[in-house]
Amino acid sequence: MAQKSQEPVIGDGSLHVGDRVVYPNQGICRITGVTVKHIAGQNWEVVTLRREEDGATVMVPKAKVMGIGLRKVADVGAIDKVFDELASPNSDPQLDWKIRHRENAELMTGGGLFGTVEVLKGLHALSRVRPLPPKERELYDSARHLLVGEIAAAMGIPLHVAEDNLDYALWPPEGMKRKGRALPPATLGPPAPSIRVAGDDDLGFADEELAEEPAAAAAPAPKDDEEEEEEEEAGTPPPRAPAHAAPAPAPKKAAASHAHAHAKEHKPAASHSKKAAPKPAPSKKAKKPAAKKAAPKKAAVKKAAPKGKKK
Amino acid sequence: MIRIVTLSEFPPDVIDFVSRRLHAAYGMGCELEGEGEIPKGAFDDEQGANDAVKVVEENDDDVALYADDKILYLTSEPLVAPLGPMGHGPVDGYAQYGGGKAVATSHGLSEKGSLPLEAGLAKRAAHFIGHLWDLHHCFDPRCAMHPGWSPGFAQYPEVALCLFDREKSERKIKLGST
Repeated sequence: MAQKSQEPVIGDGSLHVGDRVVYPNQGICRITGVTVKHIAGQNWEVVTLRREEDGATVMVPKAKVMGIGLRKVADVGAIDKVFDELASPNSDPQLDWKIRHRENAELMTGGGLFGTVEVLKGLHALSRVRPLPPKERELYDSARHLLVGEIAAAMGIPLHVAEDNLDYALWPPEGMKRKGRALPPATLGPPAPSIRVAGDDDLGFADEELAEEPAAAAAPAPKDDEEEEEEEEAGTPPPRAPAHAAPAPAPKKAAASHAHAHAKEHKPAASHSKKAAPKPAPSKKAKKPAAKKAAPKKAAVKKAAPKGKKK
Repeated sequence: MIRIVTLSEFPPDVIDFVSRRLHAAYGMGCELEGEGEIPKGAFDDEQGANDAVKVVEENDDDVALYADDKILYLTSEPLVAPLGPMGHGPVDGYAQYGGGKAVATSHGLSEKGSLPLEAGLAKRAAHFIGHLWDLHHCFDPRCAMHPGWSPGFAQYPEVALCLFDREKSERKIKLGST
């Protein structure tokens, strides 16, 4: 009885002082104790954790320990399943960035091991199709960081070995096997581009980026330009769905409708890809009406503005 | 400062090339510190190669390090890593994540389908130095942090980091204790 009263109950009782735990989005921590802190005029019982990566101290209100998803480091059996999952063939990545962002955010804040695996695998599959926007590139890196840390902690291997093994599953080298099954060796290009091109059109991604991708893969293009495009894309919500409703000449019409917004992107796309080279003539024709339509509106706004100011 | 210690013989122009590429990639000084030896206990009899972890951890060189200095060991010997969940795979080197020491090997370079010695060693060196700055593997085949066994690594001989990794390494270097 005396021992039970000395040992503080943390969460649902499964966690103890000295345990190695995983703090969602923070990494591997060790529980160092339970203390009372006087904060904003109130006494708060907090669980103190020490982050193993850099020794930083993290304090969590005791009542919220389970709510934030704090859990023990996975065991070897769970890590084995993680590698089974990583080595399994990629599923089609979610191409709608809104859904993808929401799902990934939920999985990461949940703090589950397999949620992190799902995020990493999903973004990895997407990265084979098209470059990741900066925010998702960051998410990809943090998911990888958390997973590598947990694999290393669970299996007692160096971080470097853990990451190499993770990538043996994601980018299998030649001859790599998982439980007797030979894994298909990693290739340079995307696994099945044709399916994704069709899906991407439907979901409102800029068509010119798809046209640029093969060119980028073939030759080392300047990276700053790519990143700028990614940033623009990341900040571009898909309100263009109606424009893509048109069936056959959708790419050109879409290009025309986006001509104003993506004027900069069109020029490099045409100059990069050989396939895009014969298209400029029709696309110019398509651009003209768009410009004509847009021009009166702008003119009307400009004309209206000074009147309002004069009045 | 990145300090290079050679554990095998390399032509001076190769070392010079590697130093220049590392300097360009990380914006840090890079110089040849001297020669060393692979620790005797690092040889793995079963696999007939040196254990990369032991080569780094057990190497007792007398290189003086100051604050954020990093040591890069270069060898031409084949390396292996401890057994992981996926079994044994290709090993081009080893780095202490967020630490100070790394090793890169030139073994397997200049073979069919791989990069030439100079460019390959420089790219591998940049890769493992990147791990010392907590950089993870990158999916961009043009980035030096791309996994070394992937076909993309040999496709692009340029020693360059992608924008994300460049910014991350710069941030880490700036936040360093010096």
